[in-house]
Amino acid sequence: MTHNRRFENSAEHQEVSALLPWYVNDTLADAERQKVDGHVGGCAVCRDDLAVHKRILESINAQPALDYMPMASLKRLQARLDAAQAQTASPPIPPLEPSRSDSPWRGWMAASIAAMAVAIGLLAADRWVQFEDRAKQPNYRTVTTSSPRPQGEVIRAVFSPSITLVELQTILDEAQLKIVSGPTEAGVYSLASNSTLTVRSSLALLRRHSTVRFAEETLLEPEAGDPP
Amino acid sequence: MTPLAKNSPKERDSALLMAVAAGDRRALEELYLSYHRRLARFLSRFTPRYENIEEIINDTFMVVWQNAKDFRNASQVSTWVIGIAYRTALKSFRRQKNHQIVHSLEDYPEQTVDPTSDTEVTDWLKHGLSRLPIEQRLTLELAYHMGHSLEEIAVITDCPVGTVKARMFHAREKLRQYLPTLGGGASELPARIG
Repeated sequence: MTHNRRFENSAEHQEVSALLPWYVNDTLADAERQKVDGHVGGCAVCRDDLAVHKRILESINAQPALDYMPMASLKRLQARLDAAQAQTASPPIPPLEPSRSDSPWRGWMAASIAAMAVAIGLLAADRWVQFEDRAKQPNYRTVTTSSPRPQGEVIRAVFSPSITLVELQTILDEAQLKIVSGPTEAGVYSLASNSTLTVRSSLALLRRHSTVRFAEETLLEPEAGDPP
Repeated sequence: MTPLAKNSPKERDSALLMAVAAGDRRALEELYLSYHRRLARFLSRFTPRYENIEEIINDTFMVVWQNAKDFRNASQVSTWVIGIAYRTALKSFRRQKNHQIVHSLEDYPEQTVDPTSDTEVTDWLKHGLSRLPIEQRLTLELAYHMGHSLEEIAVITDCPVGTVKARMFHAREKLRQYLPTLGGGASELPARIG
């Protein structure tokens, strides 16, 4: 005990004691490691502390680690970068003629515009198919008859009137949903799941956006014709 | 420069960051994918919600994108990126008080746990970790989970080396209270590691 007390009060003991976490994680320089080796052999207090550090390290690393798929997150980062770049790239007064400088944004701008054109094209085609489907349906509806739920609908949502097509598509991609019907006269979209993501998760992702004015799950609602 | 050095992760990170500074989005994506796993694993130890983890990682890489041109090679790229993630996470945890959710582990039934079991020792560890101040816990995780050196943690946390040592000392002392079986095991363990 006297031996240990002598060590405990020494400057060397204080120094070695503070280095023990990095002795354990094996990041000390050789000279420091040798100093710890030399001290710990004769100091029971440091041996005890070392054991504590080692067990903490082992326990921390024994805990299961979750792995997440990064691609969906990367996609959302790309959307943020696109939005930030679009903001930076759009000056308050549009120039009369396009700049001839070799700005690195030009390639991205062109890619953005192309992507928007494709998105608009796809949505327009989707609307045309929906329009044709609607044209086949009777153009009247009684007040008391509930409209049939579109196939696959799990969520109904209303978006801000100012939302752009690209923003809408980004939000739907993020929540892994697709439009199966809508918008109705009241602006309600019927959304179906596009993946194995749970409806609640998709709903939570939708509700994170201020441009989503309303979003509710419809799975639990009774089907038309179900007993009340 | 040796071919080995050219292919080392440090050299690869430096080359990617230079490309990011020049506005190369593909380089940013490559850097993102190479850091996502370790950052997500690190952050998942503080918050169970992936949307929070993703927000911190994406905020981090927005900063990387905006500030890559200011990187001056004063530290390794990995230390710089993780330093940004550390500050972003700290702000997020303070703002959202997520770590207080973990604090609810204080309600665990302490008297029913047999501390001799390995699984239950891990539970005691979780219990102890949840009671540490966030700076101490982050320091502990940076050393033990991420394997950073003392000097790297000082850079990441933007603190003097003495502060990092003090945080680790206090973390160990607090954890020792919650891990009662650890103190007596010293004689069974080898004095030297590795």
